[in-house]
Amino acid sequence: MASLFRSSLRTATATAIAPRLSRSITATTSAAVKCTGMKNLGISRQAGMAKKGFHISASRKILPAGPQVIQGTVNDAAEIPDPNATHGSYHWSFERLISVALIPLTVAPFAAGSINPVTDAILGATIVIHSHIGFESMVIDYIPHRKYPTLRKGAMWALKGATLLVLVGLYEFETNDVGITEAVKRVWRA
Amino acid sequence: MLSRALARSAWKGQSPVLSKFTLAKAYPAASITQSRSTASTSNLSNDEAQSILNAQRKLRPISPHLTIYQPQITSLMSGANRITGAILSTSIYTFAIGYLVAPTLGLHLESQTIAEAFGAMPDAAKIGIKGILALPFTYHAWNGIRHLIWDTGKMLDMKGVYTGGYVVLGLTGLSTIYLAFA
Repeated sequence: MASLFRSSLRTATATAIAPRLSRSITATTSAAVKCTGMKNLGISRQAGMAKKGFHISASRKILPAGPQVIQGTVNDAAEIPDPNATHGSYHWSFERLISVALIPLTVAPFAAGSINPVTDAILGATIVIHSHIGFESMVIDYIPHRKYPTLRKGAMWALKGATLLVLVGLYEFETNDVGITEAVKRVWRA
Repeated sequence: MLSRALARSAWKGQSPVLSKFTLAKAYPAASITQSRSTASTSNLSNDEAQSILNAQRKLRPISPHLTIYQPQITSLMSGANRITGAILSTSIYTFAIGYLVAPTLGLHLESQTIAEAFGAMPDAAKIGIKGILALPFTYHAWNGIRHLIWDTGKMLDMKGVYTGGYVVLGLTGLSTIYLAFA
């Protein structure tokens, strides 16, 4: 319905703005109208416009837009958080430390061929911390606090709960079963 | 102003319908102050203006993203790093929580049971499952090393990024095949 209305609007405006185009293209009310108008007149190349602007087509939604809400007034400045090394450089360094540690922890048990329960427990804990940080960044990226404040909080707490359960589960596995390294070895050689 | 007034009086004489709808009748206040505004305006409180703005914002189109960009090795490998990481972490989380609740649900997730069940499978299935597990693991591991090299400030130019990317893809392929048949 809307597109029908728009196309008629475009052709109507195209003829209306035709005399003005020879001088200069000034701001018109709608970019879509401007673009289509020029295409109809065959001067789109001369004006340096793309063949079809992304604002005209409507077929590239991955997900529907989330709720768009304005906090306070329109012209409020963005809040600048207090500088905090725990959320900044320390956090970054800790992430790298965990990632670097995973390399020898993963390779060593298979290379050495022997199983050390302490090394295995450290490996398990490091994997869980690494995973937790990874999931956390995904929640931060895909559930912005600005749009989904409640869902964001819920997801963060759900993640914390899941990580805790995983730690308990891995503790059980380490104490009652053969440990991560040996279990993988068993299955892989079965 | 004069022409507008003349036009109005001309309509009065010609059209009985329009004559009923004079400016003075529709907008008494406007005609007294000689205002010629044709659009009606009203004062809104701050909250009302905000709610109109918010309602309007909800109708705005979503900004174009991923799909408007040409697929490139840089962006695709970056996305793949997160996807493979999510697959690996989700597997670990699922297994660990599954192992915790297994006794309650009557499931058997002991390593011996799993190994026996896996061993009973045909060779093709074994290789396939190992490959499916090995691919995200090897990719995430090699690309993680690539990330750690970047973190030291090395290989950050376009050439380094692309060379590293191809090396990671090659190593991923080789190590996946090795692990699938190991």
